Formats: sequence, structure tokens, C-alpha cells
Amino acid sequence: MTTLEVRNLVKQFHGTQQSAVNNISFELSAAEILALVGPSGCGKTTTLRIIAGLERPDSGFVRLNDRVVVSESVFIPPEKRGVGMVFQDHALFPHLTVSENIAFGLRGQSPAQVRQTVGDMLHLVGLLPLAKRYPHALSGGERQRVALARALAPRPVLVLMDEPFSSLDADLRMEMREHVRRILKSMQATVVFVTHDQEEALYMGDRLAVLQSGHLEQIGTPEEIFHESNTRFVAEFMGDSDFLKGKVARGGIQTEIGLLTEIVDLPVSTPVEVAVRADDIDFHVDGSGNSLIVERFFHGAFNIYRLRLDSGQILHSSTDHTRIYAVGARVHAFMSAEHPLTVFSE
Amino acid sequence: METSQIHRLNRLRLRSNPVSPRLVIAAGLVALFVAIPLAYIFIRALGAEPEAWQRLLQTRIWKLLGNTLLLVVAVTCGAAITGVSMAWFTERTDLPGRKVLRWMLAMPLAIPAYIGGIVHLALLRPRGGYLPQFLENIFGQTMLTPSPFGFWGAAFILILFTYPYVYLLSAAAFRSLHASLEEAARTFGRTPLQTLFQVTLPALRPGLAAGALLVALDILAEYGTVALLRYETFSSAIFVQLSGRYDRSAASVLSGILVTLAVLILWSELRLQGKARFTQMEGNWRPAPPALLGKWSVPALLLVIAVVSASLLVPVVVLAVWSIQAFLDPQTLAAVFRTGSQGFGSYVWNSLWSSGLAALIAVILSLPVALLSVRYPSRVSRFISRFCQVGYAIPGVVIALSLVLLVNRALPFLYATPFVVVIAYVLRHMPQAVRASESALNQLSPSLEEASRMLGRTSLQSFVHVTLPLILPGLMAGGSLVFLTSLKELPATLLLRPAGFETLAVRVWVWAEEGFYSQAAPAALLLVAASALPLYFLLRREQIFK
Repeated sequence: MTTLEVRNLVKQFHGTQQSAVNNISFELSAAEILALVGPSGCGKTTTLRIIAGLERPDSGFVRLNDRVVVSESVFIPPEKRGVGMVFQDHALFPHLTVSENIAFGLRGQSPAQVRQTVGDMLHLVGLLPLAKRYPHALSGGERQRVALARALAPRPVLVLMDEPFSSLDADLRMEMREHVRRILKSMQATVVFVTHDQEEALYMGDRLAVLQSGHLEQIGTPEEIFHESNTRFVAEFMGDSDFLKGKVARGGIQTEIGLLTEIVDLPVSTPVEVAVRADDIDFHVDGSGNSLIVERFFHGAFNIYRLRLDSGQILHSSTDHTRIYAVGARVHAFMSAEHPLTVFSE
Repeated sequence: METSQIHRLNRLRLRSNPVSPRLVIAAGLVALFVAIPLAYIFIRALGAEPEAWQRLLQTRIWKLLGNTLLLVVAVTCGAAITGVSMAWFTERTDLPGRKVLRWMLAMPLAIPAYIGGIVHLALLRPRGGYLPQFLENIFGQTMLTPSPFGFWGAAFILILFTYPYVYLLSAAAFRSLHASLEEAARTFGRTPLQTLFQVTLPALRPGLAAGALLVALDILAEYGTVALLRYETFSSAIFVQLSGRYDRSAASVLSGILVTLAVLILWSELRLQGKARFTQMEGNWRPAPPALLGKWSVPALLLVIAVVSASLLVPVVVLAVWSIQAFLDPQTLAAVFRTGSQGFGSYVWNSLWSSGLAALIAVILSLPVALLSVRYPSRVSRFISRFCQVGYAIPGVVIALSLVLLVNRALPFLYATPFVVVIAYVLRHMPQAVRASESALNQLSPSLEEASRMLGRTSLQSFVHVTLPLILPGLMAGGSLVFLTSLKELPATLLLRPAGFETLAVRVWVWAEEGFYSQAAPAALLLVAASALPLYFLLRREQIFK
């Protein structure tokens, strides 16, 4: 069942040439988590705020459970949409305690009911002992969980999350991701989640929507997005791809590092580019090899080597952390991937 | 994302939000309320008979203009130099007793300049002053002492009681300055002194210039001190035209010129306001290490103590001594503490309720203006916000003139009631309330209001349940400021008060003018104390007193 339908949204801010959101459409089923991901300024937050009712689109419409909440002729104010939101800065009310913050959205219920719901939510996010605290006395992760509990308490049709982990430390962010995803799944919440972090999007989303300069580049499962990128941008943004030049040949693609046995539906000798990631490329030392080691980046658990092929083409290769070679060494680079590669014709 | 980019995006987002028409109408009405007296002055000035213009142009205006500008420039420079150097001593050196001196350097704000003027006049008067008499008793002959009258006296007194504005702004600026800025200059081979003049002071310039321009506006509006020390400026000339000769068209012409002058200064000040943020407290802020005074400690301390004595200790001690004298002399005591409507209690009560009411009204009126300009920034909302700060540029005498004429014509039922005085306070001191409300709202993230909307509250409910409780301390600060300045206000009160409506400020002035210093002293002391209390709470909010 479709919970959220976004159709042909366009939004341009005054004083800007480009549209912040340019003809974006997607649908979301009940209990599904969609991650909107893209670089800063790609329009993901604006899309979220249009769904929330904090922003009006220039055209297009948004439908929530068969109710149009915004279109050219309709505008339902945010307080009447039944949508919950977790803000980037959490936006906890500093003059209210944790319980009061969570109870803020529970109007028109009996005090006993409110107490019950607040207790349930506190239990869910594991903050029962902190009920009487004020937000300033909480840690970053605790604030995060209060913000989530507050947004979930009124049982919203849809939960919107705007870069909710961006204010947390790297370690805590990992921990909160798992925790929050578990809570959202246990509540069977329908969620639109905005982030600029590819890894976070891959982890959080049942599906991903990749945005760039207001356009929806690709929407699909994390695996589809990562392995079958539709566009160069998605391939580059989702996983630091290099683009290896080649030509279609009989039985594959002829490149500088040999013939790749990739079946493509293009005429022979069409120039193409193959998206390759560091884990697709391997090499061994060879005095008459096809490339030079330009630089080595030590990442602790692994090494990334930057290789320059004789044509000047740069490729990256990741190796075991124990495999250390000198910069300037001549090596033979080759394709080690055993999965299909993404090919773009130029 | 870079912070500046986020800010730009946020601004764009804010701008695109639909504005509630109710808010626009409310803010527009406030602007109109402020605009009418100003517009009326210009209409009257331009509509004055040509003879009035001619007469004034041929004789008075040039002299007045020269006098006024000379005083404004001298006091502004003097206050800037005093304020900045005092701030440097307390914030950037190891001066002994900095903590106490900070308070003492700021506290003269509680003393109206004319009360300080009265004290210094009594001390320094050529004939009969305490100091000349003292010297005569010692040396047996009349010694030549500096006269407090005229330009030098007025400039001296006004510098003493306006430098705290500059002091507070520059102390805050010195304090917020990042240590690395000066360290960077030092690594590029600048000496500490070169660093001060080439890096530190230029970095603080926008804030300091804004402070100096506020002083300039204050001096343009000053009536009590210049009248007391017989130095004629636009303000005192207008006062004479209004009270003595009652020549309204001459007063209108003079007012028109004065306000034009003030609006020019205010315009520069408002332009600087936006740029006043060269320095900002950042997360990784740490204080710059203080300069070590070494053998200069004693001279520096003496200098600071001299400023504190002249501006705070001497006035307070003299007022206290006079008050004791008044209590010891039964005749004076009876004159001070008469009962009934002419009694001391009624002056106090009048002062408190009129200033308190003005503070309340000013804060309430400032709210729609501040909400519009902070939450919906646009050319129009910025214009309204700036326009509502025009009160800074309308001296008390001019507001009085404009209200006398307007109330007579449009609202005769208000004529000769104390409410006209309250309206004058609101008009004159509204800018302080607007600025306080704007800064309180600016510190509140809009996402709090958005969160409240997302949790089912309407925009009005969100304002009442979320915004208002959170900006209340800021609003109280704005209110205290309006209360404090209204309490000290003299010229508009003198001109607009109905017969029998006397405030502490009025009583002090009338008694002192007649030469009854000890009789005026208890009222003056109470006025200072009543101003010191809200000032204390205001100062405690400042970073440098934390």
C-alpha cells in the first residue's frame, strides 16, 4: 500500500537561477524506509521540508494515504498533516523536560493515556531513567533518541528525518544508526530519511533515492544503486569510482589492463567507460607491468594504492594492510572483480 | 556543508515561507505609530512661514549648528578614547582589581548626565564652588580653577557619563576576540603595540564605531547637561522656544534640522550594525593572554581610578553627603518629605509607573516587528525594523514638540494627562526594545517553532507555548533597558507633563535649578539607585561580567 506519493515537485528559491528541487517524483509503501541521499545543495532537505509542509512547492503535489496535502490548489499546514519530524539540530524544547518534550504532540488525550504513551516511548528508546531531565543535561545520543521518541509518540503516518546523525561523533553515529533503525522497524514506521553520507544511506534505507542539483538520478535498493548505477554521477558519488576508458571488442571491452569479459549491447569499437572501484582492481609487482605506483594511503585495515597507467589514466586499488610496496614501483594492474561492471558509453 | 552556505540556504528558506498577513499588519501599524511624530515634524518644519526660516537662517542656525556639531564630535571622540582604553585595561591587561573596576566603569550608566553635571557644578563653580573655596582657604587668595561652564565643561561631563556605552561594547569585543588572531600577528613579526593598532583595534572597529555613533545620538538629544552648563545646542534652543517664548514654528524648523542630522547618524549606525560581527565567540574560543603592565601597573590603576572617581564615586558620595545634610536639617527634611500629591512618595510612584508602563508597551509593540524581521527577512521587513529604530534619532525635545502639536489636534482627550509622557517614552525608547527582541529571537533556532508545528500546534500556539517562554529573558532585558532610560528622561517629561505630575527626574531638576542641592539630593540618589537595579541585572547578562 502506498503511504506517500510525491509527484513532479518543483521548487525554486527567490534570487537563485537553479531550481532547488526539479521535477522529483517517487512513492513510498507502508513500513518502508527511503533514504534521500546526495551532496549538499542537491535538494534533499527541501524535498523533505515540502513533504513536512514547512515549504511550499512551486508545482507538483504530495499525497499522504490518499489525502493530497499540497498541490497547486491545496495547502494543508504542517500541524494538520500528521507527519512526525526529527530535525538536524534535534530542536528539543529547552524549557521542557524529556517527558514534556515527548508529550508535546499528544494533545487531546487523557492524562493517563499521555503518561502511558510517554512511558512506552521512553522505554522504547531506553531513556526511562532520564524522564525528568532537561535537554541541556543530556548527551548528544540521548538528545537524538528523545527527538525520535517525540516524533514517534503521536503515531504519525510518516516520519521525516533530516540528517539526524550529523551532529554526533563518528563512533556514536554508528551505534545510533543500528539503534534507530531497529526502533523504526519495530514500530513499522514509514520513513523518509535525508543524509549526505552514502554509507549511512546504504545502511538505513530499504531503498535509496540519489539526488543531484534538484534531479532524482536513481531510485532503488541499496544493492541496485551500488552495483548497477544508472549514471556516472551515481557511480562516482556512491563509491568513489574510477572511470576506465575502453572500446567495445568482440567478447568484451578492450582496455589498457586487458580484455574485460563484459557483455555489452553496443557495436564493436564504440568508446566506453567502465566504472571500477578500488576493490575491483588488483596488481602484482612486475618490472615490465602496465602501471606505476604513484601514492599509497594507509587506512589501517587496508592500503589504497593510486596507480598511473602508461596513458596517464589513474586507477585505485585496495590491498591487504600487510601488502606494502614502494612508491615508484612498476606493477601489473588487472581486473579482479567477479561481478558485472557498470559501463557507460561516451 | 560550510556554515556560511548553511546560513545562506536558511535565509533563502526563511524568505520563501508564506508570511501571515496578521503579522505584517501588526508590524506595519507599529511602524506607522513611530512614523507619525517624525513625519509631522518634517511637515511642520517645511510648512513653517518663510520668515521663520529666514530669521533663523540669518542668525541662530549656523551658531547652533557649529555648537552642536563641535560638542558631538568632541564628546564622541572623548568617550571613544576613554571607553576603548578603559576596556583595554580591564580586558587585555593584568590590571589589579579588574573584576571590581569592570562594574565601576559600567555603573555610571545609572547616573543621568545632568545629575553628574549638578554635582560637578557644585564642586567646581568659580564662585562658591567647593573646590575654589577650599583652595582659597588654604592659599588665602582666589585661585584660578577650570570653569565647568561652557563647551569644555559640557564636553567633560558628557564624556564622563557616556563613555560606558563604548566601554561595554569594546570590552565585549576585546573579550570575544580570538587569541589566535593576535598570535598570528605576532608570528608575522608585529610587536604587541603594533598588533594592538594594526590588528586588534581594526578588527573591533565596526562594533566600536556603532557604539560611538550611539553616543553621538545621545549628545544630539542631550538637554539637561547643556542647559545646566549654559552651552547652547539645538536641543536646548528648541526647549527654550517651546517653554519660554513658545514659538512653535521656530521650534519646528530647528527640530527638522536636528532630526535630519540625527537620522544621518542613525543611518550610518544601522549600516554598521549588520557588519558589527567581525568577531564571534566560536566553539574553540580561548581568551588572548593579557598584556603584563609591570611597572606601568600603578599609573594605569591611577588613571582608571580617576575615571571611576569622576564618573561614579564623586557623584554618589556627594549625593550621599547632601542627603545626610538634608536629613539633619528639619526645614529641608520637611520640604523633601511633604505628603500628598506633592510628596516624595508620589514622585517615586509617578516615576515607576510611567517608566514601567512605557517598558511594557515598548516590548509588546516590538514583538511583531522583531518576529517579522527575524523570521521573514526581506527588504520590507528590514525596512520596518529599521524604521522602528528611528526613536534613537528623535531627541526628547522634538518628541515633545511633535506630541504637543499632534495631541492637541488629533487626541485632545489625552492632552494634559501623564499618558502623553508615557507615549513619548515609548516612541523614544522603542529602538532598545526592538533590538532586544530581535536579538532574543535571533538566538532561537527556527527549527524549534517548526518542531512545534510538526507536533500539531498552530503558529499562534507555537508562539505562545515555545517561542514566548524561551525569549522571555531577552524581552525582560529589553524592558529593563526601556525602564532605565525612561526613568532618566528629562526634557520630554518637563515639556509634556501635566501640571502637578512630577517624577523624580523632574523634581531633581527643578530643585537643583533653584540651587537647593541638598533638597534635591535624596531624590537624585533614589533615582540613581532605582536605575542601578535594572542596570545590574542587565550587566549580569553580559559576557564580561560572567
